[in-house]
Amino acid sequence: MIDRVQVQIRRRKIRDRSIALVIVGTVLLLPPVANLSLVGGWIAGLPPTLVYLFSVWIALVAGAMALARPLEAGDETGHSGEKES
Amino acid sequence: MLSVNFILIACLAYVALLFAIAFVVDRRTRRKSMGWLHSPVIYTLSISVYCTSWTFYGAVGSAARNGLEFITIYLGPTLVFVGWWWLLRKLVRIGRAHRITSIADLISSRYGKSSSLAVMVTIIALIAITPYIALQLQSVTRSYQIIAGEANGLRTAFWVAAGMAVFAILFGTRNLDANERHHGVVAAIAVEGVVKLIALLAVGIYTTYWLSDGLADVFRDVKPEAIIGANGIYGARWVTLTFLSATAIVCLPRQFQVTVVENIEERHLSTASWLFPLYLLGMTIFIMPIALVGLKVMPATANPDFYVLNLPLSQNQNTLALLAFLGGFSSATSMVIVASIAVSTMVSNHIVMPIVLKLQAGRKAVSGDVRNLILISRRISIAVIPGLGFLYFWINGGSDALAAIGLIAFVGVAQFLPSLLGGIFWRGATRTGALAGLSVGFALWAYTLFLPSFGGDLILSQSVLAEGPWSIALLRPQALLGFHGWDPLVHAVIWSVGFNTLFFVVVSSFTQADDIERFQGALFVDVYRSAGGAPSSFSSEAAHSEDLFVLAQRILGAEPARKLFNEMARAQGTTSGLPHPTDTVIARLERELAGSIGAASAHAMVTRIAGRQTVGMTELIDIADEAQQQIETSRALAEKSAELEQAADQLRDANERLKRLDAEKDEFLSQVSHELRTPMTSIRSFSEILMGTPGITEEERQKFVSIIQEESVRLTRLLDEILDISRLESGTSPLVLEPIDLADAVSKAQDTVSGMVRTLGVTMRIDAVDPDLSVHANPDRLRQVIINLLSNAVKYNRSEDPEIVVRSSRNGKEVLIDVIDNGGGVSREDAGLVFEKFARGSSAGPIYGAGLGLPISRAIMRAMEGDLTIEFAPDGTSFFRLRLQMA
Repeated sequence: MIDRVQVQIRRRKIRDRSIALVIVGTVLLLPPVANLSLVGGWIAGLPPTLVYLFSVWIALVAGAMALARPLEAGDETGHSGEKES
Repeated sequence: MLSVNFILIACLAYVALLFAIAFVVDRRTRRKSMGWLHSPVIYTLSISVYCTSWTFYGAVGSAARNGLEFITIYLGPTLVFVGWWWLLRKLVRIGRAHRITSIADLISSRYGKSSSLAVMVTIIALIAITPYIALQLQSVTRSYQIIAGEANGLRTAFWVAAGMAVFAILFGTRNLDANERHHGVVAAIAVEGVVKLIALLAVGIYTTYWLSDGLADVFRDVKPEAIIGANGIYGARWVTLTFLSATAIVCLPRQFQVTVVENIEERHLSTASWLFPLYLLGMTIFIMPIALVGLKVMPATANPDFYVLNLPLSQNQNTLALLAFLGGFSSATSMVIVASIAVSTMVSNHIVMPIVLKLQAGRKAVSGDVRNLILISRRISIAVIPGLGFLYFWINGGSDALAAIGLIAFVGVAQFLPSLLGGIFWRGATRTGALAGLSVGFALWAYTLFLPSFGGDLILSQSVLAEGPWSIALLRPQALLGFHGWDPLVHAVIWSVGFNTLFFVVVSSFTQADDIERFQGALFVDVYRSAGGAPSSFSSEAAHSEDLFVLAQRILGAEPARKLFNEMARAQGTTSGLPHPTDTVIARLERELAGSIGAASAHAMVTRIAGRQTVGMTELIDIADEAQQQIETSRALAEKSAELEQAADQLRDANERLKRLDAEKDEFLSQVSHELRTPMTSIRSFSEILMGTPGITEEERQKFVSIIQEESVRLTRLLDEILDISRLESGTSPLVLEPIDLADAVSKAQDTVSGMVRTLGVTMRIDAVDPDLSVHANPDRLRQVIINLLSNAVKYNRSEDPEIVVRSSRNGKEVLIDVIDNGGGVSREDAGLVFEKFARGSSAGPIYGAGLGLPISRAIMRAMEGDLTIEFAPDGTSFFRLRLQMA
């Protein structure tokens, strides 16, 4: 039974990570945290805040991509398994 | 500038392509061969209907004016999709479980299938979406004017609206899918999603790497204000816009349609969770560069909203300009199509159909009628929506009021959010609360944002806008209750969504949900918990104990039902009568009934009796499933019982056979003892005489001893025969078979009996025995059989002139030997008996043998793979027939 418990814990962790991803993303993309990106100068010739926004965005996509399969696999509520054509 | 004809042809070809795609996909769907169409990528691309021409052209305009602010429109959806597990998944699950057809349907279903809520949501959607559609028509018209120089915008707008209406009617109402899924439309929208992405990327790459020298060059010498806007970037407006776009991706009717209603498989959502944000990223990555390059390259008078089109045109890049135009065209058309289908479904289902059905209430409806009615109503609704958009464009066309309509629509549909979220996460939400929240939110939205957007042309005059109605400054639409100094959009969102939520929560907590509402609420909030749609509990005052008792009696039987009800009544403390139908009683009863008739049927029945009208499609399908299962189970049972019956029959037969054999064995034993007894008796009596009689003469003694000897011989022969037959029948010592000459065997047998034949004066004739005929037999045994038959024929012949004929013939691989005599033969009654052991024909007369000859002969023949039978000639006489296999 230890296995099951571990699987359960791992699934819960993945779900926790998914909500954490959304919260972290929201915090990073909104003021006041986003204001921190308003620094002078350029990053590779680009405005820092633009680089910042797109970096967070890409990170969110990557995070969602990494979590998509594990989340789906850990769905215990069962899909309403309707075969639709 | 491109030639008008060329552009028209390109547009028509593009539209024809869309029609073709939708047509082919619809046909493949009907043939159930979806293949790759049934993929999460198509699903994700269809969600890209979010990017309308407002995105395609407007985002660059916004970037040119306000810097990076436009990104918020895509960040909100990104966050919602990244967090799909928590909201979208639940929406999709509910949508599938309850066959939800639109956002109006979802909200009204949640709050007890309330028609007033449905009508309200539909009207808000209609009012918010119509200008939005007009905006699409306007952008197509303007872009057409730019690229083709055509002056008559109205005509262009009309044809676009008409074309999209035709498309939506053709592929949106092909069939009345219970799920409102339109695979053809979805595929076409997916293709449009690809076209607009490619077009925007192409223009972006062109401006960044042809018109400029890479990204660094684009941003060189750009002032910070160009990036962060004149009023700063991360402020209240940024937060509000992010919130609005996050809301819109869920609440916009067309987004609800593609994300929830058109979802084929729940797992597609997990792919969309990262693929859709990635798509948005692709759509936006070059927006800022295009805007900046446009600001540098284009004259100051040029409208930044059309940089995407004007930039390539100004450089005489006609192909790229055409691609950009098609990109904008596809953004607009996909929005018009999906929005028309989504809103028309709501209008048709919640406004037109109820009215029509009410008007028809007196008449007797045939099911086909209703179907046609729905189709007609749906088609008219679909035509009406782009029509309204066109009308709106006609009246307001060209005014810049339209440009802001995208966000105004977002705020409008954001009014659904409190009722929607509250509905699926909070059981306490009530219909009255939702109605209150929606009305307040809608009113405040109209007052603070929608009506002021007409700049004093619609209902609210300019003086009202500036000074408030009746010059009451506190009621100024854009500074309500002195709440000024805010961006009008932020102001409107705070008022409308804020008060919407407030009223929703407060009214909900002070009002009572009725039964059906509470029931639906439980189903929606706990959608993951109840697979079959059965709630954990619900209350009922309306349930009639007596009806429930009757139901229970029918299903459980009178005595168990009485016991159950007595028990429940005792548990309630009721001394007499039926138990009060409380939650516990109903839930218990449902459980008990479920054991007999399945959960769904039990639920439906109890619900029905409890006076609720919640037997929906899902329950009916569940019931059908259960019935199907029961049918299959009973079929399996029937098969099993047929098998068992067969087995029982076989056992009965076997038993009969055994009994008969047992009887035969007893009979045989008694026959044997009887047969043995006769010689034994005489042996004993004669030996007693010899021993006990003193004065016995030598002659007498001699005679007695010879009798004893004869009887002993007979006894021995009898025992030999019994042994022989038992050996033959059990097959313990198989006969050695070899090919032998039949004629030879017959003549040897004839020789053996010839003495007896002569003595009794019998004529014997051997007919036509083929001299070369060779059979498979044991020579001694075959002779024994023939001798037995011949001697029988001789012994039992009672004719004056006895005659015996032996003849042989062939029948395929079989050789037949007939022994015929004129002695009367065997009667048909005796035919079966003569082969019984110790039996003799009734006409046998004096007894010569023990009656084992024929049984032994038959056993021998069978041991030689042949047979011995009695045959009847046509004249009624009988004869013996031997069958043997040819060697």
